[in-house]
Amino acid sequence: MKRNEYDVIIVGGGITGAGTARDCAMRGLRVLLIERHDIATGATGRNHGLLHSGARYAVTDQESASECIRENMILRQIASHCVDETDGFFITLPEDDLNYQAKFVESCLAAGINAEIVDPKEALRMEPSMNPDLIGAVKVPDGSVDPFRLCAANMLDAKLHGAQVLLYTEVTGFIKEGDRIQGIRTYNHQTHKSGEYYAPITVNAAGIWGQHIAELAGVKIGMFPAKGALLIFAHRVNGIVINRCRKPANADILVPGDTVCVIGTTSTKIPFEECDNVKVTPDEVNLLIEEGAKLAPALASTRILRAYAGVRPLVSADNDPSGRNISRGIVCLDHETRDGLKGFITITGGKLMTYRLMAEMATDLVCRKLAVDKACATAETPLPGSGGKSFREVAEKIWENPTTVQKAAVGRLGMAAERMQSSDSVSQSLVCECEEVSVGEINSAIERLDVNGLTDLRRRTRVGMGTCQGELCGCRAAGLLAKAHGCADRAREDLKDFMTERWKGMYPIGWGDALREAEYTQWVYKHVLGV
Amino acid sequence: MRFDTVIIGGGLAGLTAGISLQEAGQKVAIVSAGQNAMHFFSGNFEEIGTARERVSALFASAGVRTHSSDGWMLMPMGSMREVSLTLDDVAVFPDKHVAEKALIVNYTGFHDFYGTFLAEALEKNGTTCRIRFVRIPEMEHLRLSPSEMRSVNIARVMDEHWEKVVSDIRVLLKDEDLILLPQVFGLKDLSVLDKIRTAFPARVAFIGTMPPSVPGIRTQMLLKRRFEVLGGTFLMGDEVTSAAMHEGIVSSVTTRNLDTARLFADHFILATGGYFSKGLVSTPTLVNEPLFGLDIDYPEDRNAWYDPDFFADQPYLNFGVKTDESLRAVKDGVPLQNLYAIGSILGNTRKADYGSAAGLAIRTAFAVADTIKGGNV
Amino acid sequence: MKLQEFTASAHNFEECMKCTICTAYCPVVPVNPRYPGPKQAGPDGERLRLKDPYFFNQALKYCLNCKRCEVVCPSGVKVADIIQSARIRYDHTPPRLRDRVLANTDFMGRLARPFAPIVNGVTSLGVTKTVLDVTFAIDRHRTFPKYSGRSFEGWLKRRAKEQAKFPKQVAYFHGCYANYNYPQLGKDFVKVMNALGIGVQLLEKEKCCGVALIANGMSQKAARNAGQNVQALQKAVDAGLTVLTTSSTCTMTLRDEYPELLKVDNASVRDSVILATRYIYQLIESGAAQLRFKENYRARIAYHMPCHLEKLGWGIFSYELLKMIPGVEFTLLDSNCCGISGTYGFKKENYEASQAIGKPLFDQIRSVNPDFVACDCETCKWQLEMSTGYTVKNPISILAEALED
Repeated sequence: MKRNEYDVIIVGGGITGAGTARDCAMRGLRVLLIERHDIATGATGRNHGLLHSGARYAVTDQESASECIRENMILRQIASHCVDETDGFFITLPEDDLNYQAKFVESCLAAGINAEIVDPKEALRMEPSMNPDLIGAVKVPDGSVDPFRLCAANMLDAKLHGAQVLLYTEVTGFIKEGDRIQGIRTYNHQTHKSGEYYAPITVNAAGIWGQHIAELAGVKIGMFPAKGALLIFAHRVNGIVINRCRKPANADILVPGDTVCVIGTTSTKIPFEECDNVKVTPDEVNLLIEEGAKLAPALASTRILRAYAGVRPLVSADNDPSGRNISRGIVCLDHETRDGLKGFITITGGKLMTYRLMAEMATDLVCRKLAVDKACATAETPLPGSGGKSFREVAEKIWENPTTVQKAAVGRLGMAAERMQSSDSVSQSLVCECEEVSVGEINSAIERLDVNGLTDLRRRTRVGMGTCQGELCGCRAAGLLAKAHGCADRAREDLKDFMTERWKGMYPIGWGDALREAEYTQWVYKHVLGV
Repeated sequence: MRFDTVIIGGGLAGLTAGISLQEAGQKVAIVSAGQNAMHFFSGNFEEIGTARERVSALFASAGVRTHSSDGWMLMPMGSMREVSLTLDDVAVFPDKHVAEKALIVNYTGFHDFYGTFLAEALEKNGTTCRIRFVRIPEMEHLRLSPSEMRSVNIARVMDEHWEKVVSDIRVLLKDEDLILLPQVFGLKDLSVLDKIRTAFPARVAFIGTMPPSVPGIRTQMLLKRRFEVLGGTFLMGDEVTSAAMHEGIVSSVTTRNLDTARLFADHFILATGGYFSKGLVSTPTLVNEPLFGLDIDYPEDRNAWYDPDFFADQPYLNFGVKTDESLRAVKDGVPLQNLYAIGSILGNTRKADYGSAAGLAIRTAFAVADTIKGGNV
Repeated sequence: MKLQEFTASAHNFEECMKCTICTAYCPVVPVNPRYPGPKQAGPDGERLRLKDPYFFNQALKYCLNCKRCEVVCPSGVKVADIIQSARIRYDHTPPRLRDRVLANTDFMGRLARPFAPIVNGVTSLGVTKTVLDVTFAIDRHRTFPKYSGRSFEGWLKRRAKEQAKFPKQVAYFHGCYANYNYPQLGKDFVKVMNALGIGVQLLEKEKCCGVALIANGMSQKAARNAGQNVQALQKAVDAGLTVLTTSSTCTMTLRDEYPELLKVDNASVRDSVILATRYIYQLIESGAAQLRFKENYRARIAYHMPCHLEKLGWGIFSYELLKMIPGVEFTLLDSNCCGISGTYGFKKENYEASQAIGKPLFDQIRSVNPDFVACDCETCKWQLEMSTGYTVKNPISILAEALED
């Protein structure tokens, strides 16, 4: 076999691509994954991080709902370090119709979701941040999931099973022979080199950009780019996910994730050309705060860290202008039967929650085509780092008296934290003080997790995701990267990009404490450090 | 309590004005809501202009040595910046080629000083660099806390045990003509710096670190002490909560701690800084000056407050309180008779006359002190 | 409802800009590396604790609660309050016997007072100190504060009638120290007030302010004391009395720690609880009264501002009063913590840190070489007297001794 020949090529380094790469690799296939940027740069890293119970879809889409709850239970088992089992409430406010609640609970139960009506007072005791005016509450097994970690863990496991991953590598065209895709042409944005890779099957898992990939392959799929904007608040206002018990609408989910909480989303159709550079508008920010404060009044006076937006990879079905009514269901296209193009599969639609199922469906199809008879094992096989009931249990399994740094590392890496730590006190010292990320964790991420720059590092370690948004840790991490990569110029340019990327999320909410932080950061970078 | 002048804000602008007025025989109080931007001072008196000699003299009287000559300052990330006046800590080079060979010394595990960036930048200008690390047992205890290997904590140890580091560097030094060290020396005074400078055949230059700034803290402390020695009253950790105004004249201010013991004065100086220190406060819809409700010009559309490029000149940094020619603060279109605004609360509104950054703080402080003194004579 | 229109977050810890200024002024960080530092223990740690209480770190007990971080914070973050509140909320380990003994200052005072000579004799014995050190972990270098045979309360009760004759009246929160250990301070206070034409009354019932209980993990008991004290203060305030104090720490506790840490509402009495020096200064400044001092009074005084007085922002009143005394040569000592912080320095495990913290202050006192040191805090007094050999006097006592007979 030639160096650039594989059984399957997967295009897209989001959660779907990573999951598919893992599944394929676990079934013994020789896998190549190609990603134009870094892992989780599209919709994977730009959502709530909600571990859906499926309740949100129960009334409108039973199939999605039951998929969600099955995957929900699976993720708790195989990705325990990425999941926070918080539970969730669906609350009814005075302006909502309480009659909806009965229908909601009934639909949940029908989909296999354990929905339980809780007395509003009791619910408020369990989650004091909720709007005290609530007139109804239903408890469901929602949770939160860290999409970056989940994606990185899938990617890592795929590699441990022999997959090869090429980041910052863009597909520029397909190598076709008659009606069959034989491979891909690529361009690497870092080495500035072109390449060719061959495989009998290519899987298009590029999310919203899948439309473009399909076009390159010569087939058409109509994606519906629906922008969703979200806000990150500076600390966990709520411990339990809060949803509105009504037909899905704007800004009706508040998810506690790691040290923050996230309110979202909006839904607006955008032109396809804007997918690469989505911006959050002041109107969206205002709407998110206004609606968010109805779920948890404290949001009206809580510091906001940043605003961001993602594009849902919905597949067009009708002329719905908002995209709300498009099925969130999984779309797995065999372009051989659909368009007569052999060796090309598209896996799209779906949700972060159902990535594993999507991967399973795509891999099943790949295996059928390659006549490989091996069953999917991703639902039973834990991801690297998973294990242990709580992060407390994991931390105390590894260390007798875990320090704060060690506890924080376990919170991010689960069982894998053990490898990251070393007894050397230099490794224990902090790079990121807001999120307690140590030198050891950074260095391990650089070594093991394909880190090219600071933004990549952030996705894998939470460096720069805390209150100061990189002010304190940006240069420290840049210093470590300069050392690891042996190039200070690259690290300095990278630092500039990193701070600009952080600022992109800050200026839409640039007032109060966020503007104070921005002024201070300006001062430090321009006048003190001379960046 | 009665004073000639009450200054709100104890940073570079407030202290400069306070010392000037106290030297002129005034009775001055400074109300300072915590410490200030002096703690992030790079040591470069940017845009100091014609106030260069006057501020050097004022700082010298406080025991703060400055270095007045045109040249280049080597920044922590390796860039060179043109300077005319700096704190004595700062090494000023006549041109960008700082040396033939440089030895860059850092303390093992100190992540707020960036030898690799310095080395790569210096090599481009023809300086061969070696980076070496030292560690001394006296500092190892700092490591037990993962966050406290900070410049100030290192400086405390260095002020006592600098000789050990010097002897380590002596072993490392070969034929280099320049030694670069982080600014982690001389928290209390400059004596340690002088000793280190004369300990080697090579020139020693101290380069900035991430905050807190050791030279900045020392300078703040010495200026405050000078102000107090002159008889000034420095109220640290207190903040002005309201002011009594009548027909364009401020008669007194109330502070959170002193409440009923109001501060009366003939003149009031507002030196509360920009957004960081809450001299200016912003909400989603407005930018305001919270104490007196002074006039500020800014666009209504929030989108126009920012430039998407973080490193571009940010429009919001230009906003500042409006003043008349004598820096009297303007409220509802009319200058208040005895309230002056100095320093970064002005934003860039008076950039043409007084510059920005440290230069703005000092030049506006002198201007207002002169106006007040003139009025008294 | 206004959305995001507030000038600052409603969650105080979120106002931290990560500027690191607090870390430069924390007296504990340089001497005890096991302490995570104010920024990590305070606002940074708070975010983690809100994520999961498992992030609570026992090392927060090394915080002195000196509040220096709060005084220097340019963002108004109540760093020490965040740390102390976290201890109250998350630390459920029962306090050890030693800490119970140290914390119950009024109970110990009541117990010891009748046997004062014996107790004082025993606690000052070398052998007792060794026993305390070994079995009790109270450092052998420490001398237990002496107990007075007669309480100040008893002394003033016997003089209630003559005090009632003054046309103007104040109430006095004397605190445990003036009551059990050093009634002379209370007597000095009465002397000064009387010279101003003011009579002094006791509160109907005074409990220990509770500061040592809070510091030693007995916040529930502290809250009970606080509730009773607020009631007693309310009665005095309802009767039109201002309540004066001579201890800076008691004052800060009554005014600020009750609502911030113990969640005991004191809003209706807070502004009426005032340190005596402030009250006297304002009285004299307004021209409503004056003090006449001895013509031949001479003293070189170095004034140490206790941390909690610096936090209150009222040190100016104490030293401006001292400067009013003719014949006083005055030095304001640099702002430093003496290291004792109430019961903290008495604990064997903190002794070295405590002395290291105080060293710059001790050194400065020795170099100034005053006749005596002035200070409004009783525990600073123990620390400075033990560590420097100089006598330490409360400004009120200095006023009393300088008064014209």
